[in-house]
Amino acid sequence: MSSPHLISRRACLKGIGVALSLPLFDSMGWAEPEKKKAAKPPVRLGFMYMPHGVIMDQFWPASPETFLTAPPPALASLGPVLSQCLLMKGISGVPISPFNGAPHALELSTWLTARLPDADRRSQINIAISADQIAANYVGHLTSLPSLELATMPQTHKENQEGLNEGYYSHCSYRSATQAVPAETNPRSVLKRLFGMRDQTGGVGSSGQTTQANALDRKMLDLVLGGAKDLRRTLPRDDQHKLDEYLDSVRSVERRIAAIESRQKEAALEKAGVSASKRHAADSPPIEIKIPLGDKRSEYMQVMCDLNVLAFQTDTTRVSTYIGSTPNGVSYPELGFSDTHHSNTHHNHEAEKVRKVAAITAFNIEQFGYMIKRMQGIREGDGTLLDNCIMMWGSGLEDGNKHKRENLPFIVAGRGGGTLNTGRFLTNVRGNQGDLLTTLLGCAGVPLDRPIGIATKEITAMRATA
Amino acid sequence: MTAMVLLAVAMVPTATCGAAPANDAELAARQTEVKKAFREQVTPFVKSYCISCHSNRKSKAGVNFESALKYPGDAGFAKHWKQAVTNVKVHDMPPEDADRQPTDDERGRFAEWIAQLKYLSPPDPGRFTLRRLNRMEYGNTLHDFLGVDPAVSREMPEEVLGEGFLNTFSPLQSEQYLRIANTVLERVLAPDGAPPTAVQQRLFGEPPAPGSDAREAARKVARSLARAAYRRPPSETEVDVLVAVFDLGRENQLSHAAALGLMLKSILVSPQFLYITPAGEPAPGSRIVPVDDHQLASRLSYLVWATMPDAELSALADSGTLHEPAMLQAQVKRLLLDGRSRALFDGFGAQWLGLGEIEGKTFDAAKFPMMTAAMRTAMYDEARLFFDSIVRDNRSVVGFVDSDYTFLNATLAPLYGLEKTVTGSAMRRVALADANRGGILGMPGILATTSFPTRTSPVKRGVWVLEQVLGEHVPPPPPNVPALEDRNEAKVATLTLRQRTELHRTDAVCASCHRVLDPIGFGLENFDAIGRWRDTDDSGGSIDASGELPGGKHFSAPKELKVLIAARQADVARNLTEKLLAYALCRQLEGYDEIVVDRLMETIAKDGYRMQTLITAIVTSYPFTQRRIQ
Repeated sequence: MSSPHLISRRACLKGIGVALSLPLFDSMGWAEPEKKKAAKPPVRLGFMYMPHGVIMDQFWPASPETFLTAPPPALASLGPVLSQCLLMKGISGVPISPFNGAPHALELSTWLTARLPDADRRSQINIAISADQIAANYVGHLTSLPSLELATMPQTHKENQEGLNEGYYSHCSYRSATQAVPAETNPRSVLKRLFGMRDQTGGVGSSGQTTQANALDRKMLDLVLGGAKDLRRTLPRDDQHKLDEYLDSVRSVERRIAAIESRQKEAALEKAGVSASKRHAADSPPIEIKIPLGDKRSEYMQVMCDLNVLAFQTDTTRVSTYIGSTPNGVSYPELGFSDTHHSNTHHNHEAEKVRKVAAITAFNIEQFGYMIKRMQGIREGDGTLLDNCIMMWGSGLEDGNKHKRENLPFIVAGRGGGTLNTGRFLTNVRGNQGDLLTTLLGCAGVPLDRPIGIATKEITAMRATA
Repeated sequence: MTAMVLLAVAMVPTATCGAAPANDAELAARQTEVKKAFREQVTPFVKSYCISCHSNRKSKAGVNFESALKYPGDAGFAKHWKQAVTNVKVHDMPPEDADRQPTDDERGRFAEWIAQLKYLSPPDPGRFTLRRLNRMEYGNTLHDFLGVDPAVSREMPEEVLGEGFLNTFSPLQSEQYLRIANTVLERVLAPDGAPPTAVQQRLFGEPPAPGSDAREAARKVARSLARAAYRRPPSETEVDVLVAVFDLGRENQLSHAAALGLMLKSILVSPQFLYITPAGEPAPGSRIVPVDDHQLASRLSYLVWATMPDAELSALADSGTLHEPAMLQAQVKRLLLDGRSRALFDGFGAQWLGLGEIEGKTFDAAKFPMMTAAMRTAMYDEARLFFDSIVRDNRSVVGFVDSDYTFLNATLAPLYGLEKTVTGSAMRRVALADANRGGILGMPGILATTSFPTRTSPVKRGVWVLEQVLGEHVPPPPPNVPALEDRNEAKVATLTLRQRTELHRTDAVCASCHRVLDPIGFGLENFDAIGRWRDTDDSGGSIDASGELPGGKHFSAPKELKVLIAARQADVARNLTEKLLAYALCRQLEGYDEIVVDRLMETIAKDGYRMQTLITAIVTSYPFTQRRIQ
């Protein structure tokens, strides 16, 4: 009776195939930088990617007036949730010269960085911190996970277009100019990571441990960090930089453990009736996660959507990046054809290929729609989870046929805690992808010391007027 | 027309201009020659055609030749020169609206002189920056160190190995390392109160006798664990840190054994374990230093076995003799003959041959229902065992292209039409009577990965042979060129795939490359999209597998194409050497590496391009045994 959430969560974990027992779980409240009386739900920021662009005349609405009543074919699946979406035409990509032969190595890697790699050090990763990681640096310490990176394909494609490091092909998150962030592709590991469950194989996640064990791990890591700093002093400069990545990453894990510890303490206090939860009584219970057994692409993409929703709903993280697929040859047997996405995008206006690309696009948007509809169905505070999210879906190419990047397709869903005015189609915003990212981070309340990539301004037309 | 001529230049085998200088004196003489030619040939060319847009005053696209002309050998400009050669060759530069255009002859000579610039690169082994163990290495190392199943590393993200390896470290990875460390400890250590496990006894020794100095005992354990895990002797400071972790455990009421367990956990998440680190500091002021023997042992062991050095390698590193050439050569041979050397295929060979993709590649299920998981595994294993046989028997690299045996089981045999003779699920060596088979050009796994899900692709196969077997660089198609077969649907519907592909030749822009690529692919058209022999293609028309390679070399069947490709043994060997060296160094080759490869090729050629010789030459090479630290 005292913990209905635990019961529902236990129920929701049935069917996973492994026996999972739940850890002493954190409270569902939101950590806030300063103590406030009435906690306002935080803004969450999510990105979801589809490679190779779209069929333009099936993606853009005919006019702002008909946007909601007669949406274009690509957006049809969004249905009623369209009123929670914002479309803006006229956002250009980073011009890719001098890397003209690398459209696919750059579509994903420039997507959240809005800038080009260093042309003189092509074989190394050298680009810029990405928008999601900028956000994670700002809000990440407030949640047990600074950010979540998901993908549905291994990031191992070997193709160095224009001599660029292979990593550019399949990574869009960069913690620093030189550090690509890997994404998780296994839903089971993601679930374990999010909620640190102890399973029968003996794996113990840090949040599955007792408070004492966590504290001990944190102190042990502190000593290891000390040792790593001793080692650093003996190394040449380049090696020192390499080791700094290690130091940064271990520190972040220490912070994560500290966040879990404080959640555990809060939960204990709540349980003892000493303090009250910040949650509203009417908030929805955590959603159910079912890990699919088959290899249907839609199910795979949707379970990753579910994990994203659950991570946001439980405030386990506030930033997520989901690479729906990388540009290296995914195919969609579910749609009735097995040739690859990429080969169809060079359609040269041939009807059959155009139809296939349109079907793939609609399929991907449908998965995005699945995610935002789930978010809309979750009560949070006075509204829905989606009200407090900014979900950006898009591609790094306009049209895969000619690798154009002048007018990139994006959908922004969610009201961003009241900062975005949705349900509109803006016909020409005259901006670039850096401007868009700068705007969205602004709406999420992330202060920037400089605009992102090639950005020169915020796209104020997207904002809700206060 | 001109584009055709020039691309022909680009596709010529990568022959070096003259023999590589055999020694430093010869190299010095060559350098003088190159500098002179640079002044007299390259400088006037650049001044006439390039400098007006690419100078200090105006550096379009960030390219400035003014300084590059002053410092011809400077590695910083190497990329600009290479780019310039490509642009000049394909007539991208000078731009069409330039006042003057060089003749084709001038363009060709410019490219030749730039190719000589490598002789001006100062000797440089490249850096050997701290390298994190990749997923496979990490799993194997945990296995060798603690006896756990290497699959324990499987929750780490998959990653690119060798050249292109990211070598980054994210919070996700830190968490996973910590989580895996916890899992591993739960598996190998007994819970408090239970008798110690065998692994525990091996790692921690006997529990200290009552009354003895437990902390001193812990220090001893720390030193021996760190020696194994760090793959080098630990410094006293490093041992101090581990003892401090032990103390932390004791202060928190852990038992002696559990405190040692915490210490082991700290080892498993420390950078000395997760990265290959040098033993000791380099002398101040030094620029190029030998890779120390412990680091060399690791470098070698991770290259061939993808795991930590074994006892013998470690002992040689401790004695300081591993770097001696004879010793190093003997060790390479020992490692190659050991079963663990399959890691060389899993890490390198599979990537080189493209077999890594076979497991996840989509095939049209209606057309190719036999592409089951078992079939994909058999295809992978065929290539693996074949690669292994060439290494183990120390055969010439030509054997990769031209051989008379392969490895089959009952699953795979039907693709060869040998289902009557090969039975059972175990892979075994099978002699091949059909000369169209034998070697990578007729191997189903490779023919399948270079096909589309529904049909073959002569273009993909052609590019694959040129790039992966012969080491040539095929430029990407010019932007905005549609696939030719799509231009007139009605007309092409009745054509064979070959006839459709041949439409490339009707367009001069396409023809320049495709007349080299496509014939190779046509030569393999008798193999369908999963590598079965066929005489007619999907349109019902008969296969015409004849064609011509540059230089008028004619072939009419896969077996004849195979002979022509195999004859280019120096190119096959050089390509493999370059790819394996880049894999071994975990970086792209550049600048001085070209000279290194020139020299390696002489050694390898003298011994008939044998595989063990090739690998040994790489392990004993300058960039593998030395490192630049500034």
